[in-house]
Amino acid sequence: MRKLMPTIAVMALSVPALLGLSGIAQAQDKFKLGMAVGGNTCCEWMKAQGDVARALAEKAGWDYVELSNNNDPATAVKNAQIFVQEGVDAVIQFNGQPSANAAISAVLGAAKIPVVTYDIADPGMYFVSIDNLAAGIAGGEQLGLIMKEKWDCNPDLVISSEGAGAGIVNEWRTGGMRTGVNNICPGIPDEKYISFEGSGDAAVALPAARDLLAANPNAVKMAVVGINDGGMLGLINAAEQLGRADEVIGWGQDGAFITGDNVNPHLAGSVFYFLEGYAVYAIRDVIGPIAEGKDVPLKADPGDPASKVQPCPVSAEQAKAVPDMPERVVALLAAPAGTTEYDLFCPNK
Amino acid sequence: MTLDRAIDAMPAATPLRLRLEGWGTPITLLVVWLLLIAATGLYRPDFFAHQTVLAIAFTMSITGVLAIGQGIIGISGGFIDLSQPACLILSGLVAVRLSEAGLPLAVVFAGAIIVGMAWGALNAAIVVAAKLNPVIVTLATNFIGLAALYLVFQLAQVPNDSEIYHMGRARFLGLPVIWWPMLVLIVIVGYLVHYTRFGRRMTAVGGNRFAAKARGISLKTTRFATFMAAGGFVGFAAVLFASAAGPFNPSSAITLQLSVIAAVILAGISLAGGRGSFWMLLLSVGFLSTIPTSLVFFGLSSDNQSIFQGTLLMIAVAIDGYRARRGSP
Repeated sequence: MRKLMPTIAVMALSVPALLGLSGIAQAQDKFKLGMAVGGNTCCEWMKAQGDVARALAEKAGWDYVELSNNNDPATAVKNAQIFVQEGVDAVIQFNGQPSANAAISAVLGAAKIPVVTYDIADPGMYFVSIDNLAAGIAGGEQLGLIMKEKWDCNPDLVISSEGAGAGIVNEWRTGGMRTGVNNICPGIPDEKYISFEGSGDAAVALPAARDLLAANPNAVKMAVVGINDGGMLGLINAAEQLGRADEVIGWGQDGAFITGDNVNPHLAGSVFYFLEGYAVYAIRDVIGPIAEGKDVPLKADPGDPASKVQPCPVSAEQAKAVPDMPERVVALLAAPAGTTEYDLFCPNK
Repeated sequence: MTLDRAIDAMPAATPLRLRLEGWGTPITLLVVWLLLIAATGLYRPDFFAHQTVLAIAFTMSITGVLAIGQGIIGISGGFIDLSQPACLILSGLVAVRLSEAGLPLAVVFAGAIIVGMAWGALNAAIVVAAKLNPVIVTLATNFIGLAALYLVFQLAQVPNDSEIYHMGRARFLGLPVIWWPMLVLIVIVGYLVHYTRFGRRMTAVGGNRFAAKARGISLKTTRFATFMAAGGFVGFAAVLFASAAGPFNPSSAITLQLSVIAAVILAGISLAGGRGSFWMLLLSVGFLSTIPTSLVFFGLSSDNQSIFQGTLLMIAVAIDGYRARRGSP
């Protein structure tokens, strides 16, 4: 009996150990997706991008690791190193600080980990993006149509709320919107196009917008575009404070402030990107096939991306039929695999 | 009286510097501000318009109230409160949630002020209990607070049809409604600091804490009271901020910090404690709020203001240090 006891004890202790080992082996077989969210607190969609990627990864039976880039290049590079240590099989990132992309590409490339990057291209990463220039032009043309109808294409000012930190994306969006306005209303003099730095944040843009309006005291008919809805709203709020909002018309980008029951009446429309749902494109066109062992050719060129997200310009009236972001995420995750929010919610397909 | 005796009886001639004692800083600041206004007006006569006054007054409103809180910390020897952004956003979030619940404006103000005071009490508790430098403590609580706020919300915005929303856009006697509380608070606090027992104690603690202690002033009680009062002013500013800013996120108030600190130093409120006039904040906040507007009239982008404000801050800190070494007010 005495000799039997240690044997039983060893056997009993072996069971969890064996279970643990088999668990480790199983985990090693499992595909592991790393997700680096942008971490800029400007926008709810940045956090939601991670939530959607997590849900889709779990649906696919993959392991999932999420880190935040904290909108900081150094953190983004450190996160790439952590992904290597974690042994992920693929990474999705939204990195608003393109200066770090080359270093991230080098770290993950050395470990042979494929990377999908959203909206800001890098030669070593699969590019999944909205066509920012097309989105800008589409929004600008819609605004131009309103300007043509209301003002016979004769505004006092066309104001751009810029977000210079976003680099080329800012130029595509705000420049695209000016091009779109010009497509519908050619002949607006150059001096009527003016810009200010709004950082894509309504609260930060507000004082600069007030100053710009004060320096243009006679402007009444003002069309406003912006890198996103938030930056554009900064000018609308400033116009309200200075008592000059009667004839302000804004058309934004990203659709962040055009749904729900608290929409500013001067916001005429926006372009939905459904940014929170980008993971559908990334997983459908890149990560999914890689997980299945297929060879997916690297497409890093903005002109020929690995997956193209369709922009969806909507008027404020049409946007009333589009649910808020949390509801959209629920519907997206309940839809068949590969279904995009554009398919589900865009009224102008 | 002979001429010689009359001359002997005359008081000694007072140097101009001494006669200006106490008025040097306000006069200098006022002259520089007026020069800025005049130069901008000469370059662009439409600068002298009601729209300009409104733009500057809106900018002054929130900065001014925050500067009162910062000034209280400074004059009481706490140097600076670096946690104002986190406190402002937290209190602002409370204001948004209360206004979303349809509560009256008075309740919204009360809620935000209470939260601000609680934040100040937290700072004071750490400073007093751990005997740590207030600058380090408030730097840390700002980081922690903002990080915690990131977890709680991404964007907050007062309802478009709420009282608080309309307050942020309304005017009284041609100026923004939110400008007037700033004016009233600066006038009242300026009076209280100089002419009440608590105000004098607070200044005494900032001037020489050992002497203050020897006179029976409780340093702990004063520290708690000043941090809580400062937090209360941040809570008040948060309601003004929420009413005017539109949608905001946890990092929306970070850009205010530099202007507020610059305003306090330019006003002559010593960060080493013990001296300064809160009434001077009207001049310093007005001057600093005029700079970005002037820049835009000169055709420069208002984001250049950081360069000007940073330079001014350096000059003001140098003057503050010079004054402290000379022991002059």
